[in-house]
Formats: sequence, structure tokens, C-alpha cells
Amino acid sequence: MFKFTLEDMVIIFLQRLLWLVALVVAQMMVFNNVHIFGYATPMPYVYLLLLFPLGTQRWLILLWGFFCGLLCDVVSLTTGIGAAAMTLAAFVQPPLLRLMAPKDAAEDMHPSFSTMDFWPYVRYAAVVTFVFCAAYFLLQSFTFFHILDLLIAFLSSWLLTLLVCVAIEGVRGGRKKSL
Amino acid sequence: MRALLDFIVRYYHWFLFLALEGLSLVLLFRFNHYQSSVWLTTANTVVGHMDTWQQQALRYVNLGKENQELMRRNLVLEYNISLLTDQLAKLTHDSTFTERRQAERFDSLNMIPARIVTNSVLYRNNFLTIDVGERDGVQPEMGVVCGTGIVGIIYMTSDHFSIVLPLLNSRSHISCRLRGTGYFGYLKWDGRHPMYAVLDDIPRHAHFKVGDIVETSGFSNVFPPGIFVGKVSAIENSDDGLSYKLFVHLGTDFSRLQNVAVVAQEFQPEVKALEERADSLAAKN
Repeated sequence: MFKFTLEDMVIIFLQRLLWLVALVVAQMMVFNNVHIFGYATPMPYVYLLLLFPLGTQRWLILLWGFFCGLLCDVVSLTTGIGAAAMTLAAFVQPPLLRLMAPKDAAEDMHPSFSTMDFWPYVRYAAVVTFVFCAAYFLLQSFTFFHILDLLIAFLSSWLLTLLVCVAIEGVRGGRKKSL
Repeated sequence: MRALLDFIVRYYHWFLFLALEGLSLVLLFRFNHYQSSVWLTTANTVVGHMDTWQQQALRYVNLGKENQELMRRNLVLEYNISLLTDQLAKLTHDSTFTERRQAERFDSLNMIPARIVTNSVLYRNNFLTIDVGERDGVQPEMGVVCGTGIVGIIYMTSDHFSIVLPLLNSRSHISCRLRGTGYFGYLKWDGRHPMYAVLDDIPRHAHFKVGDIVETSGFSNVFPPGIFVGKVSAIENSDDGLSYKLFVHLGTDFSRLQNVAVVAQEFQPEVKALEERADSLAAKN
């Protein structure tokens, strides 16, 4: 499908690994300590999934998502929750991107403001982070008993996560550098 | 096979997704007490509900068989109840103190059971016929009793039948005493009420009261001593004024009499022969 050389693949792998480490460290050092009003905690490591271009093999995204979630679980002491939520988000990312990409998009389009425009990208990021946060908070509470608390925590964290993701994308896109 | 392989290759991401999610959930439940406890209770509740539904369905299917079993059981129980009711009736019927004492006393005697063939209570001189005779060992002068008291004395016998001179006959007189005191007299019937007889010749210095028990004295050797006859119901002076005349409410209801027993006293013939010899000696002198 794609004609990457081994060198390209190693570079792409190392770039993704760098993103992963950076996001996990940021999560551990910064975002895990953010609890706005006791509810909202941003989890922007889902941004890693937003980076994968159109046409990426699904097993690759699933594995990246799973291991990224697992790593964050290890540093956040939430074993399994992040991994499960990230795996689900990684599962829905390719069809969502296919759905929301512009009609004339390249076969290996990298999602960004420049390739998708601002609002379509925000919409795409919103859906992926929504799926991730929904799965995450459902697994964490594991009950609908305190449904109001659950909803507040979920919605506020989702919006905060989306905000951080869009901000990261803005910073990255501002440098006009595609992954 | 090829189609299967194609299917797996085509949807491999589904299998990978499910495997990774499964692994995540295993980790989740393995390392998080809260989720694992909730999971276990939820799973148990679900399993419990499913078990309940299954049991209900099975019970419904088995209703026919259970119904049959219940019906069979019901029949057995009803049969048992009828048996027990009979036994209870027998036991409670015989349970008054007097009746039990009477039964114990009768147990120690040589009894010949008999049934009443003809009976009357209407006349001044009544007679009974019973279905045992000399072939059964019945002799004249033997006593006849029933479960509630005395009946009378054998008057005549044939091979298979006997005629009883009951208490309700003006010629009957039976030696009786007041239980516990030893004062005795002769029980006669005044021909009036079949439930009452008169005990004569009780001395004036005797102490007793209405309700005292009258029993056989054993002096005549017809009845063994101590068999219940009745209770004192009224006290009068005798015609000559020298003794008391007691009205006795009899224990035996002659108008309902059906089953009786002849009392065979072991030494009765010997005693009778001795008395006859004494009489003849007295006559000679």
C-alpha cells in the first residue's frame, strides 16, 4: 500500500515513540495533578491516536493505543482502564478519520489544521476524545449509581482533554511540520 | 478453510481489538479491588437471576409429576388419618379413671366375652339373653359385667346361650359396698328408672355422702370385689328407720348395652359345694 523504506519506518517509529514518551511524561508530571473543581482531569495522551494518518494499518494503531494507555496506567495507578479506553479509541479512529477527511484528501493524509481545516479537525478530535473519555470514566466508576457525578467528571474532562489536544495541534501545526 | 482464513485476515483488527480489550479488562480486574469487587457482585447477581429463571422454568415443567406425587401422598395421609382417628377414639373413650381401673381389674379375671342377643328395660322383671353357653364354660350364678359396671348374674344356661338376671329385675340382689368404708348392703331395683337402683341396709352410723362410689363387695362370690357399680345420688331413711336407703346412679346404661363379659371365678364351684355341705349339715342338726 505504502512504499516506505526501512529507514522511513524507523524514523516514523522513533517519532511516534518520542510523542508517546512526551505525552506520558506530561500526563504523569502535569495533567495528573490537574483536578479542576475536583472533577476535570485532562488526559491528552489520546492525542497520540489523532496523529495517525489515513490508511494506517489498524493493528498498528491498536497496538500503539494499547501500549500508550498501559504506560499511562502504570504511571497513574489505574491499571487497565487507560489501556481499555485507548484500545477502543484506536479501534474507532480509522473509520472516523475516513469519514471526516475531506473528499479530495490524499490517501495518506496526516490529520491537522492545514490538511483538514480547523473545525473539521476539532470535530474529528472531539469524537475520538469523546469515545476515549466515555470509556475511561465508565470503566473507572463501573456503575451508574452516581450518574450525575459521573456525567460532570466525564464531560468536563472530555472538554479539557479536547482543549489540550487542540492546543497541542495548534502549537505543532503552527510550526508547519507534518508528522 | 480458505474462506475462514480470508475472514480472519479481513477482520483481523476485530480479533486484535477484542484481545487487547480482554487483556485490559483482565488487568483492570486483576489490579483494581474496586472494579473487581463490583464485577464479581454484578456477575453473581446476573448468574443468580439466570439460575432463578432456569429453576422456575424447570419447576413449571415438573408440575405435572409433582401433582401426581402430591395426590398419591394425599391418599396415603388420608388413610393414616382414618386409622389414627379410630385409635384415638378408642383410647380417649376409655380414659376416665373409673373405666381404666375397671379395665385393669377385668384384665386379671377369666373373662368370657359375649354379645347381647335380646334385651329389655321396660318391664318389672327384665331378662337378657347372651350368645355364650355351657360350651363356652358359662355356668349359672356367674357374674356378667360390661365396660362401665356390672350387668347381672347368669340365671339359666343352654349349650350356646345363657339368660342373665340383670340388675333391672326385682329378683336381683347383689352384695355391694361403699368404696373406702367397707359398709355393705344389697343392691336392688325398685322397678322405676333403668339408670337408678337402691342400696339397702347401710347402717345409720356409717359416714358417706352423695357422690361416693358403690362397688361390688365380693361376698357373694359372684363378682370379684371392687368392680364399679355406680355413684350415690340420693340418701333416704329406710322404711323401718333403722338403716339408710341409698339411690345409686348406675354406671351401666342397660338400654344401650351390647357387649358384655361373663366373669368365671376360679373357685366358685368349690365354694358352692362347701356351702351346700354346710347347709345339709345344718339341716341334719
